[in-house]
Amino acid sequence: MGVVVAADLLAFEAGVGIGMRRREAEALCPTATTLIADPGAEAVAFEPVVAAVESLVPRVEIAHPGLAFVPIAGAVRYYGNELALVSRVEVEVASLIGTGVHIGVADGPFGARMAAIQAADGPVLVKNTVTFLADLDISVIGITELVDTFRWLGISTLGDLSELPRAAIASRFGPSGLAAHRVASGEDRPVHPRPIPEGYAVEERFDPPLEDLERAAFAARNLSARLLDGLMPRGGMPYLIEVEAVSADGDVRARTWRSSHPFSEAELAERIRWQLRAWVESGGVPGGIRRLRVVPGDISDRGRQLRLDEDVTSQEDARRALIRLQSLVGPDAVLQAIPQGGRDPADKIAWYRWGEKPAAPERDPAAPWPGAIPGQAPALSTRTPISIEWEAGFPTRVRLGSRWEEVLSWAGPWRRTGRWWEGQPSADRYQVVTSAGAFLCEVVEGEAFVTGVYD
Amino acid sequence: MGHPLTIAPANHSPLAGESIGVADWRGVPPSLAGESTERATVDLAVTPGRVLGLIGPAGSGLTSMGISLVAAATTIEPVAVLDERGWFCPSVAWEAGIGPERLVVVRCSDRSLWPKVAATLLEGFAAVYAEVPRHVPDQVLRRLGSLARSRGVGVVLRAMSGDLPAGLLYLRIERATVRWDGVANGHGRLERRALSIKASGKGAKGTERYLEVTDDGANAVHLVPGLAVAPSGRAVG
Repeated sequence: MGVVVAADLLAFEAGVGIGMRRREAEALCPTATTLIADPGAEAVAFEPVVAAVESLVPRVEIAHPGLAFVPIAGAVRYYGNELALVSRVEVEVASLIGTGVHIGVADGPFGARMAAIQAADGPVLVKNTVTFLADLDISVIGITELVDTFRWLGISTLGDLSELPRAAIASRFGPSGLAAHRVASGEDRPVHPRPIPEGYAVEERFDPPLEDLERAAFAARNLSARLLDGLMPRGGMPYLIEVEAVSADGDVRARTWRSSHPFSEAELAERIRWQLRAWVESGGVPGGIRRLRVVPGDISDRGRQLRLDEDVTSQEDARRALIRLQSLVGPDAVLQAIPQGGRDPADKIAWYRWGEKPAAPERDPAAPWPGAIPGQAPALSTRTPISIEWEAGFPTRVRLGSRWEEVLSWAGPWRRTGRWWEGQPSADRYQVVTSAGAFLCEVVEGEAFVTGVYD
Repeated sequence: MGHPLTIAPANHSPLAGESIGVADWRGVPPSLAGESTERATVDLAVTPGRVLGLIGPAGSGLTSMGISLVAAATTIEPVAVLDERGWFCPSVAWEAGIGPERLVVVRCSDRSLWPKVAATLLEGFAAVYAEVPRHVPDQVLRRLGSLARSRGVGVVLRAMSGDLPAGLLYLRIERATVRWDGVANGHGRLERRALSIKASGKGAKGTERYLEVTDDGANAVHLVPGLAVAPSGRAVG
């Protein structure tokens, strides 16, 4: 939060770096425009790049918007050599985005990514991946605790790590150490892909065709849940998914997404949503999506295991139930809430849809809020017109349903001054007690409403 | 007021399955449990598989009571509220100890969908508070009760009108009277509610018992002893 995740060339020249705090970056480059990261929008912007690469080499795998892997063994034979292929890709992508294309070629995705990072002045084609990796700093592993321990032990490069016996590393550091040793030794992708069993693919048809992003997000969640429901009982988790869409015009679009670790359900839904948004906003699916299919690939048998102290099962059951409920009653009816500040009971609640991130409260709940109704909150909040009889300014009877109830006691009024400059009237709030119960009433311009029931 | 006893989360409760005379089910430390134990009144614990029913009009204080009962059923797992009218105010759940991150409110005003929605919640949650719309067939409610028992879900049903079918509920709680303190002639504010309830069913040992529940809006709901007397000695169920 609040750190630079991407910057253009001019910003880099001004001294801005990835991971730098926002304030520091803005001080270095005060005329720069700051944008909040939006992976969905990035996926939309990245889509033409992927399409361009795919026009030259099939089976592009997207790791995240901005990073794609391409297996080139077959394509190299077609284009003659690696340099010819890479040059074509560079020209194709540069024609879309101009400068800033980083291309690296190595044995395996990790090496290729490291090469691409160093490819600021043109493509880097690594001849010997093990030698290339050996000089890299140990921090490229990306696991902070592991890197700190390695440094403390005097292991400062991937070469230092790869020279150590694998068994000793596995024994001392466990699976993460073993994975790091494999990567450092140039043995990328520890996954041993199994053939994809039939029947794990999930699909959904849309009538009318899916065109709005709201429905796309919902479909993404639904499909990812169904996909993992099928895989998880067998302990399988996908490292790769293929999202395939058939447009209303009959066009078929497919895109592959890969992850360095098994996709969780949230990550899976996110990737599908990004892809759908990219297609919908770029006009890649004319007339909308009629059929959507998600096929898992590179299924690992390392499904997520529960920790003994972690009661994930109940959370998982609840999550599945809520996904089903969203399809039954709609996403607007499955809600969570957080407290926020306000003068009325309803104002003190900020609702948001389950599964989405709550926005920061508009009003500070810790602020004093003079004029707020004191004491406990009503259990039910409504805004129903009610008839109240008054005598000498005191409420005497209220009409509940078809009968009149005597007011036994009452408190108030608590006056809420409306935004008079916007034409909003003031309101007087009363707590009214009858033999049927207690109510919070509001009188606005002579009309009375029940706004809360102390149930 | 009496001496408070703790109803801890149902799974760990020293009182689960045991009846109590005075209770604070919002997390009083267990050390108080030894102060007083009155035998054989009403078992209010919402343990897995139990279905409790609340009957009375809006304004009775039954929503606060039902939410407090569900809150005591679990302190870890998510809790669902099935809101039929769209009126539910989550502040009451937060005050009862259900954190915002654990509370999910599902709104369903479509009566034809209600059974399906309720059944889905029972399949996913350990504790459910559900408002039951009018005209839901008894047969549907019985099937939901059986689902709750088989899935081990603690359920509190709140009838929006009328009654709930006999035999479904472990404990049937019906409002008798409600009295509020703290307001008079325009002064003060609502401070304390004394709700007289009539409890019946298996959880009340098959006898109708009258109890008074006081809610002072703080962090406690107390059952007041002394009223736990069966007025007529009639057996239920």
